[in-house]
Amino acid sequence: MGRRNLFVWFVIMLAMLAGGIISGCAKKAEPPPSDQLRTLSFTIDCENYNKAVAEAVAQQLRELGVDVQVRVWGDWAVLKEALLNKEREMLVNDWGNSTLDPYDLLNPKFETGGRGNYAHYSNPRVDDLLKRGATGTDEAERERIYKEVQEILYDDAPWVFGYAMQEIEASRKTVQNWVPATDSRINLHRVSLTEGDTLVVGIRATIESLDPANHRNRIAETVIRNMFDGLVTRTPDGKVVPEIAESWEAISPTLWEFKIRKGITFHNGEPLTADDVKFTFDRIITEGGLGNGKSSPRKAGLLDPVTEVEKVDDYTVRFHLSAPWPIILQMLVHQQIVPKDYVERVGSEEFAKKPIGAGPFKFVEGKLDERVVMERYDGYYGGSPDIPGAGPARIKRAIFEVIPETSTRVAALQSGQAHIIQSVPPELVPELDKDPNCEVKTVEGTRVYFLEMNVTRPPFDDVRVRQAMNYAIDWDLIIEKVLGGYATRLNGPLLPHGFARHTGLSPYPFDPDRARQLLREAGYRTE
Amino acid sequence: MLMRVRTVARNLCGLLYLICRHPSALIGLVILVAYVVMALFAPVLAPYPPNTGSVRQSFLPPAWQEGGSPAHLLGTDHVGRDILSRIIYGARVSLWVGVLSVAISMVVGLVLGAISGYYRGIIDDVLSRFAELLMAFPFLLFAIGVMAILGPGFFNLIAALTFKSWVEFFRLVRGETISEKTKEYVEAARAQGQSNFRIVTGEILPNIIHSVVVLATLRVGYMIITEASLSFLGIGVQPGVPAWGSMVDDGRDYVRTAWWVSTMPGLALLLLVLAINLFGEGLRDILDPRLKVD
Amino acid sequence: MRGLRVLERILSTIPIVFGVAVIVFCVMRFTPGDPIDVMMGREGHVSQEQIDALRREFGLDKPIHVQLYMFLSRAVRGDLGNSLTKHRPVSALIRERLPATVELALGALVFSLVLAIPIGVISAVRQYSFVDRASMAAAFFGISMPAFWLGIISIIVFSVRLGILPSYGRLPYGLEPARVTGLYVLDSVLTGNVSSLVAALRHLLLPSVTLGAPMAAIVARVMRSSMLEVLRQDYVMLARAKGLTEWAVITRHALVNALIPTVTVVGVQTGVLLGGNMIVETIFSWPGIGRLAVDAIFNRDYPLVQGVVMVYALTFVLANLAVDILYTYINPKINL
Repeated sequence: MGRRNLFVWFVIMLAMLAGGIISGCAKKAEPPPSDQLRTLSFTIDCENYNKAVAEAVAQQLRELGVDVQVRVWGDWAVLKEALLNKEREMLVNDWGNSTLDPYDLLNPKFETGGRGNYAHYSNPRVDDLLKRGATGTDEAERERIYKEVQEILYDDAPWVFGYAMQEIEASRKTVQNWVPATDSRINLHRVSLTEGDTLVVGIRATIESLDPANHRNRIAETVIRNMFDGLVTRTPDGKVVPEIAESWEAISPTLWEFKIRKGITFHNGEPLTADDVKFTFDRIITEGGLGNGKSSPRKAGLLDPVTEVEKVDDYTVRFHLSAPWPIILQMLVHQQIVPKDYVERVGSEEFAKKPIGAGPFKFVEGKLDERVVMERYDGYYGGSPDIPGAGPARIKRAIFEVIPETSTRVAALQSGQAHIIQSVPPELVPELDKDPNCEVKTVEGTRVYFLEMNVTRPPFDDVRVRQAMNYAIDWDLIIEKVLGGYATRLNGPLLPHGFARHTGLSPYPFDPDRARQLLREAGYRTE
Repeated sequence: MLMRVRTVARNLCGLLYLICRHPSALIGLVILVAYVVMALFAPVLAPYPPNTGSVRQSFLPPAWQEGGSPAHLLGTDHVGRDILSRIIYGARVSLWVGVLSVAISMVVGLVLGAISGYYRGIIDDVLSRFAELLMAFPFLLFAIGVMAILGPGFFNLIAALTFKSWVEFFRLVRGETISEKTKEYVEAARAQGQSNFRIVTGEILPNIIHSVVVLATLRVGYMIITEASLSFLGIGVQPGVPAWGSMVDDGRDYVRTAWWVSTMPGLALLLLVLAINLFGEGLRDILDPRLKVD
Repeated sequence: MRGLRVLERILSTIPIVFGVAVIVFCVMRFTPGDPIDVMMGREGHVSQEQIDALRREFGLDKPIHVQLYMFLSRAVRGDLGNSLTKHRPVSALIRERLPATVELALGALVFSLVLAIPIGVISAVRQYSFVDRASMAAAFFGISMPAFWLGIISIIVFSVRLGILPSYGRLPYGLEPARVTGLYVLDSVLTGNVSSLVAALRHLLLPSVTLGAPMAAIVARVMRSSMLEVLRQDYVMLARAKGLTEWAVITRHALVNALIPTVTVVGVQTGVLLGGNMIVETIFSWPGIGRLAVDAIFNRDYPLVQGVVMVYALTFVLANLAVDILYTYINPKINL
């Protein structure tokens, strides 16, 4: 009986295979007649802050005859679980990319099993390219690699590529020489005032800590950065320039040497040497480095490949890496140097209460959820010579005031109680524009917004449907009507001003006819 | 059985007659009926389906304002949907939520209240303490918490609303049962050897049902407002389902530039709750004159 | 004897408060979604070891009954734990936000009583007059009005259109009076700071009216009906017959007695007032515990939710207790 049974099975398999091939060919040859077309129907997930965009997108898709529901999730943790289970279809999402390097955007979002890959995209070629991009050392080669990735992603379209929001900040007209930074930090070193010598910055949330090694938060970094300097820093438009380090050299892809500037002193007058630099990084990369068994939260994702920091002489250090790490310089911007002797003497907790750094301002007093006051440090070495205006700070006193309520922050600026404020919502911009004493300033932000499509299940396992989605949405209209115009259309996943962005690709045009055609080819009814 | 039906029908006709003679109850009833018709025939009455529109057509003002168009009588919202149509469809959500959640609360409250009031003893103690405990939570906070656990959605909403509101009915029914229990007609029924179940359903219930109906009517309005409040906070039904509360919330960011987006659905809500309260209080005057507020 | 009854009533609130604590604790633990996930934000960058460390730090790795025991034994000592999202003691957060909520609630209470009691009295004295009908119609609107809509409409009218009242916050930045009680209106009076007082009152006006409107409506209606009742009583007739002026009859004889039902209603409505403050605080960006509660629930901030709900429940229980006790003194016949 065995053999006959096997034969029957074989015939059935063969028939199915033939049927599959024939129907596959038929599909390619001509779209099925319209009475066999199905209605495309799916759900768009989002969190509350992306709801307006999700609804606008849904609206435009409905005009094509797609049956779209919007689901707002109250709680990211629950949504994330569903996403990881590959249960969802389309997600309105965003991702920060303050290093401006594709490394911490493309790798987590498109590598097979990447920690933010909610499209569940998996492409061996892309995986290979991304691995080479992450460890490559030749800039031009990396650029070429990432451009190829962008071309593949453009055609494969696992996302509906969206837009980058601009950072909207505002200042009094009396504030001189201040522009918002693309990574949204506010550095007051070179800022001056036409009236008075105390400058107040209204920041949007509580400061997590004043210890550079013990936070995971951009606002804390903004405040800390005014009291501490790093080996390198970033210009407002995102270029890495020397700061405490005078120069550097990659001896090999896994060994970097930094020369430290001489004559730098901490606020307590002690000189800054290679010992302090080594201590700073040891504190972060060593388990339990903060004392009392606590480890620094600034290692994972920020310093992973660093295995050892070696002191060569008093003004030279070497970074040993476990693997080539081309974006080491962009990453070092986010670590600031602390004084070894002082920290060892008082301990991490006391240090966070009375921080001492080598930055342009020294700490006076502060409560993390109210305000931090700092004063000019007259012994400052002057900061990075590559940014115009090196020298001591212009203003005498700087105050960072925590004002979480948006409208209160705007009112503080208008009444002159604050000189610079973070995060102005687009709908309040017209009000500030009317105010003769205030100025709204915008800069390209470092966060991209997009729709992620789950490529592992219908309908988005079909590349034609994914491309159709890209053609079907009129982003310019959404940017104008829903986002107040403060966003920039993207041609792919990367930021417009980021490294290795492909300039040869133009964003998917809004082309409803093309979208309809693709949907019909994929077997869906359109209007 | 037929006799029963006939009696009930006669009573209802009588009630209708009384309502017609009570002007504010009549006004309430008329508006209420209008809303019910609107909800039932929404697809026929609404000029557009609730979720169509184009972002290009967003923020059109109401027809009587400059720039408004007669195609969109009450204007359009931030993604270009017709506000009038969404209000008409929204009546379905509000009425369903109100009626369903009150009906469930009423049944639960009635059963538990009757048991508690009639048998007293340990059951009564436990239920009463539990009710007291629930009373200590502010209603909205409680509902928000339940919604946070269950997530948004229609039936979750009903659950969140009924979790606490049965207590009101429980307390009323329990109190009334306790006071009715000592009356002569109950004693008489007991003397005739009727079962406890018969006594409660056949004797006590018909005598307290009036006040329960009145409470139920008034609670519907309150439930509708609470549902709208939850939707307003973004945790009611899903977007796409046109709920008045979330429509008001949608318009909140645009009050400076497009006042009608928030105002119109709120007005619809106000009118409905007003009608329910008018009707409910009228009903109370008629059915339960001892509670009459003169 | 009465003292004993009062004491008994006070003691009876303890199991309720205890029960509330247990319920809140359990309910929060059934919630899907891991608070640690919420804390770490969406982009992660964190290792499993760090997550485990956080779990240990907040005691989330222990079995539920141990967590409950820990929570209760600390709560008794006034320690409500640390907020998961704000990294500060819950009791400190509540203490910081409570004055704003108290000020708003008092504002609403004062508004509704000042408006409603005279209206109720006048409506009763001049029954079926135009004033009576108009104010009862208004009161009817008051109880049917959704608070969130009233708030938005008043922002549109008074802040956006007319531009005469502020629409958010408690005070313009920098005008805070020296802190005595944390209630800005009271503090500016105590410190003689006139500009702060004016600003604080202006900020308080719209939120108070929005929050107090339903209460005002209910109090006016109750006041009117109990006044009508009292005016029919023999002793009022007698007072009139003695030749007292109508004013004296109303204020000295009728009003005091008519206030008794109002007291009950005010007590019950305090709970409703608290329930509404989340909405009103959201609309007017009022930095009180209502918004703290809503944020905490959405963020799965267990300790903060527990703390805030405890405050709500405690206030509610205390308000009812106060009414009951007040009652025994006003009307000694009442059995608690």
